[in-house]
Amino acid sequence: MFLVNWFYDTLASLGLYHKNAKILFLGLDNAGKTTLLHMLKENRVQAHVPTLHPNTDELIVGQLKLKTFDLGGHETARRLWQDYFTTVDGVVYLVDAIDRGRFPEAKKELDALLTSDELTDVPFLVLGNKIDMPSAASEEELKYALGLLDTYGKDTRPDKDSGVRPIEVYMCSVVRRMGYKDGFQWLSQFLS
Amino acid sequence: MQEQHWDVTYTEETAGTRLSFHCWPSSRLEATRCVAPIGALYTPLKKLPPTSSPPTALQYDPIRCSTATCHAVLNPYCQVDFRTKLWVCPFCLTRNHFPPHYAENISETNLPAELIPQFVSCEYELPSVPVAGPPAFVFCVDTCVHVEELTELADSIQQVLNLLPEDSLVGLITFGTNVQVHELGFEGLPKAYVIRGNKEYGPAKVGQLLGCAPPSPKQQSAGGPKGAPPPPGQMPHHQQTYEAPGSKVLKRFLLPVSECSLTLESILDDLRKDPWPVPSDKRVARCTGCALSVATSLLDLALPRRGARVMMFVGGPCTSGPGAIVSRLRSDDLRSHADLARNAEPLHKPACEFYASLAKRHTVGSGPGKGSSTAAAANASATSCHVVDVFACSLDQVGVLEMGELVEATGGLMVLGDSFGQSVFKESLRRVFQTFEEDIPEDGGKMQMAFGATLEVLTSREFKVSGAIGPVTSLGKKGPNVSDLEVGRGGTNAWSLGGIDPSTTIAVYFDITNPGTSPLPEGKRRFIQFLTRYQHANGRTRLRTTTLCGPWHNPPPGEDKKGAQPQHGMGGYGMEPPNPVKMSFDQEAAAVLLARVAVHRTETEDVADVLRWVDRSLIRLASKFADYVPDDPSSFRLSPEFSLFPQFIFHLRRSQFLQLFNSSPDEAAYYRCILCRENTTNSLVMIQPTLLSYSFNGPPQPALLDSQSVRPDTILLLDTFFHVVVFHGETCAAWREQRYHEQEEHVAFRNLLEAPQADAQMIMDNRFPVPRYIVCDQHKSEARFLMAKLNPSTTHNSEGGGGAQVFTDDVSLRVFMEHLMKLSVQS
Repeated sequence: MFLVNWFYDTLASLGLYHKNAKILFLGLDNAGKTTLLHMLKENRVQAHVPTLHPNTDELIVGQLKLKTFDLGGHETARRLWQDYFTTVDGVVYLVDAIDRGRFPEAKKELDALLTSDELTDVPFLVLGNKIDMPSAASEEELKYALGLLDTYGKDTRPDKDSGVRPIEVYMCSVVRRMGYKDGFQWLSQFLS
Repeated sequence: MQEQHWDVTYTEETAGTRLSFHCWPSSRLEATRCVAPIGALYTPLKKLPPTSSPPTALQYDPIRCSTATCHAVLNPYCQVDFRTKLWVCPFCLTRNHFPPHYAENISETNLPAELIPQFVSCEYELPSVPVAGPPAFVFCVDTCVHVEELTELADSIQQVLNLLPEDSLVGLITFGTNVQVHELGFEGLPKAYVIRGNKEYGPAKVGQLLGCAPPSPKQQSAGGPKGAPPPPGQMPHHQQTYEAPGSKVLKRFLLPVSECSLTLESILDDLRKDPWPVPSDKRVARCTGCALSVATSLLDLALPRRGARVMMFVGGPCTSGPGAIVSRLRSDDLRSHADLARNAEPLHKPACEFYASLAKRHTVGSGPGKGSSTAAAANASATSCHVVDVFACSLDQVGVLEMGELVEATGGLMVLGDSFGQSVFKESLRRVFQTFEEDIPEDGGKMQMAFGATLEVLTSREFKVSGAIGPVTSLGKKGPNVSDLEVGRGGTNAWSLGGIDPSTTIAVYFDITNPGTSPLPEGKRRFIQFLTRYQHANGRTRLRTTTLCGPWHNPPPGEDKKGAQPQHGMGGYGMEPPNPVKMSFDQEAAAVLLARVAVHRTETEDVADVLRWVDRSLIRLASKFADYVPDDPSSFRLSPEFSLFPQFIFHLRRSQFLQLFNSSPDEAAYYRCILCRENTTNSLVMIQPTLLSYSFNGPPQPALLDSQSVRPDTILLLDTFFHVVVFHGETCAAWREQRYHEQEEHVAFRNLLEAPQADAQMIMDNRFPVPRYIVCDQHKSEARFLMAKLNPSTTHNSEGGGGAQVFTDDVSLRVFMEHLMKLSVQS
């Protein structure tokens, strides 16, 4: 019962309760996609080997049905991402905030996603992970590196007619259970 | 026979067998209390040294016990009376006369090979069975993959053609939206028959579609080379009138590689991607299931009795026709563990049934051994010689889960990789055709693969066979030694194994049925005989027999109460005599036998329940065999025979075999399938990977699979069976980045860098499937291949401590052991 209640509470507090959505977890390898999914599912940190096949999971609580696809992030696995673009409601894009050397690569992949025809209307939550490490980049630095200086706005109310693409950056630490909650709350506003 | 210390590796070396216990408790009750399964891991075709088995196969039929229900084969444990020329069967105690040609010559100093004491295994080449001829290979190529993938695949198959014995037959089927059967006997221009991909086809239908059906005068024009000169070595065949469909197939679609390799190579050179258009919201139409039905039908038609492999190369899920696992609509997702758990996947069950039906068509023959309880241990017609292998190379699932049963039931091989360009695939494919070393008498240079194997297990009457786990299908043979208590595939003492190679290992479980009301006579021994019949790659049928003998142990009279009141040998209880059952425990074999049961249970039970069962078994085992004072965890001690067992279970619980997160249904099925066919040592590497540490302070050392073993200035070599990882500590990585190893004065560092790579190569040289090789640095992305496997004794939550931090909330081995001690000593 504890787990069930926990699901209910966590997801309700994340603002995802009562919603039905298909979400992709994307990002370079070692960004923390699988760890985040495991955290959302079991509320526990676990060490994982790099993902080979996509991880499909369902977080079901009450009327909420969140179908998540955690795709491998290494270079060859990225070819597979586009196979999962149909009928996606949201993308969570994780970036390893301590691996500055790979920011350009992360930007390149993010740009490719943002310019994809199939994802034009899909909200993007960009999570800068691993801020528990002292060397992690700040939100400003990450936004600059990813070319996301102008984002939707964390407090802007969703407005379908505005024509502005919903994309926002949140800094988080999955292992310390920090930050991603706000990000999901923001994302949930755009999931219908 | 009451050996105190029993050398486990010796029985493996000499008889290809590992047993969980060597000395068995003589009563059913006591056996139940031993908790660990009583069983054997048997590698039927293991290459044995000439000291424990005749160096070449014996060219005669074995002598069998004359009792109808027994038919055990003469072996060194038989009591022989040289005067009266009688031998006593150790299984049923029948006295048998030697046949005249034995009786004439036999004496204490002149023994036939099968009676020489150290030859516990013997191989007979049965002269009474006709020679089947060289094996056949049908390559099934998925043409729905990327062009580069297709090129790599075609290239690998072309290379393999050079490895085949010249007289072996080959055939080619390509598939996408439809199935193409290529007519290799047609020279000049490539010709293929196209078969619609949305149906299943049996042998008769395939014969008809390929123009090989029996009498039909019009077929003449459809097949056979028209005008073109007949290929060398092939009879011109315009005179044929009533030719069997099988022999027509053999002239047109399945040809000796020496005759058709040029045609085949040019077809492979020109392979094109499936031409049918694919809308962006749809998957490609891929009729894997239909292609398999055509391939197996082709073999059934042409070579019903001969060893053959269907080698399926597939790069994506089956989406059309029988065996489809997902619809073509991209909006429908591939099945996940969650879908499977609540049966929400409409295509999964039918697909499984379809692939299983192909396997059944393969193994049925004359029906599951009914009425054959007499002689003919392994009824040859009850098993097919056709094997289905699956080489799945894709970034996503392809349906290994559904095809698994077909592969297992036919004794096929499975390889899962992400690309046909990877060595995991390319090198593994080459190794399928591995040959025996040239210097081995008789078999040298011959392929190691064998076909149509069956295994029968005979036992002495105090125990029965519960079942087997591995690539086996029950032959439903209800002998008197079949237990009601089923483990794995039970209810029989004989199984069909299908394809088999020297590494195939079967777990057999036993049930001690002796009531134990009175102790067994002193010196009474238990016997097991394994009878493996198979078709060698040279086309001849062989029978390998392995006979094992071991002691019984009568529990002392007072021991009955033990279960209720553990009073183990600590402190004042130290007077207890050593228990020979306990001393004969092989913890490695026991861990593997237990792991196979656990994996088998996941087929029908929820993984969480299986984990609980594993935990319970460990606790009960520890409370039975550990030394402790009740209710005092600090007094808990395990003897050396048991000391590693809890660790094995700790790692088994964390392994990909019992943890489904971050592992797709296909991956889980794949890993489990491999675990259930490997030998004890390899299985143990899968359960608890091995770690070697390389440093400047001397030669490489085995290191604990623990986060404490990670040091900045060492290099680690991890072997998980599926992955071989070379891991550079951060300092080593930094030195390498600064190219110290290229400088003359740092030659020691260069050697340090090279040593683990050379050792990794050695590991990979002897393994199937070829592992993925990873060279990585601490803190980098691929370091996770190592970090995820380590016992997390230091985590991001712990303060200080040596080694590297693992980001996990999982419990460490120390916490696990503390719980085990606490629970085991509870009274």
